[in-house]
Amino acid sequence: MNTNAALMNEDGVLPAEDLPGDFAIWIFILAEMLVFGVMFIVYAFARAHQLEVFNASQLTLNRGLGTLNTIILITSSYFVVRSVAAIKVNDARQSARWLLGAMALGAMFIVVKLWEFNEKFSAGITLETNDFYMYYLTLTSFHLMHVLMGMIILGCIVFKLRNGDYTAAEHFGVETGASFWHMVDLLWIILFPLVYIIH
Amino acid sequence: MDHTFPTGLYHPLIMNKPINHFSTRIWLVLIMLTMLTFAIGEEVAQGKAVMLSVLAIAFIKGQLIANYFMGLRYVSWLWRGIIMGYFVVVGGMVAIAYLL
Repeated sequence: MNTNAALMNEDGVLPAEDLPGDFAIWIFILAEMLVFGVMFIVYAFARAHQLEVFNASQLTLNRGLGTLNTIILITSSYFVVRSVAAIKVNDARQSARWLLGAMALGAMFIVVKLWEFNEKFSAGITLETNDFYMYYLTLTSFHLMHVLMGMIILGCIVFKLRNGDYTAAEHFGVETGASFWHMVDLLWIILFPLVYIIH
Repeated sequence: MDHTFPTGLYHPLIMNKPINHFSTRIWLVLIMLTMLTFAIGEEVAQGKAVMLSVLAIAFIKGQLIANYFMGLRYVSWLWRGIIMGYFVVVGGMVAIAYLL
């Protein structure tokens, strides 16, 4: 623990680090969370006005697929953590591998979600069926767009990692993309129980 | 006191390897909490206490992701406060809507 002692102040306290990644991404993350947060609250109050419709429709959702997608997204976030850890020790190859793994899981999330949508569309359910399905389809598709956007961001970082653009000393971009990906995970952590579980 | 560094805790700046193992443990806890949420959704006849428990699980998962995956554990308390506040406000409003 001697190395730690060198960084501590006289109170034995480590200095706070800067936010991981670009400060601008954190403003963007807060803005996105605000938009989703308002939608979550609107959903909850809309439900309060149509309890029976919401409860009956919610029971038709595939909770197994919702849970599978939660596990997929959490695991992809973990892979991104490992990627950031790898570039911090200058292992760009390993960092890129973890990110490719996270992207593969992102693709799995999209496939599972489209499968789920297909089940609903095949049963004749659309945005206009009732308010519950309108919220369910809108919230989950909007979130899906963010998964897609996150995958594009991670793809750009993989390209730059392979190009040798990031090192242990300079990996700001990796942390910026990682923060966005974790936000996508964070939003799903609320969306999943809200829309699939609690009634 | 937030940045006190007791033995057994790892700081990513200093010890990269241990934080990997630590993040694996966080991942395992997150998976277990997800399975618990699923089990509640499948088995339990829901009431207010169950609804609040599921929201509490989401709160814990959110804190674990923000602090250990996003790395907010080591930045200014303000950012941890914002994320925690977000979960409290959104979760609280959802709970109010369900209790109405």
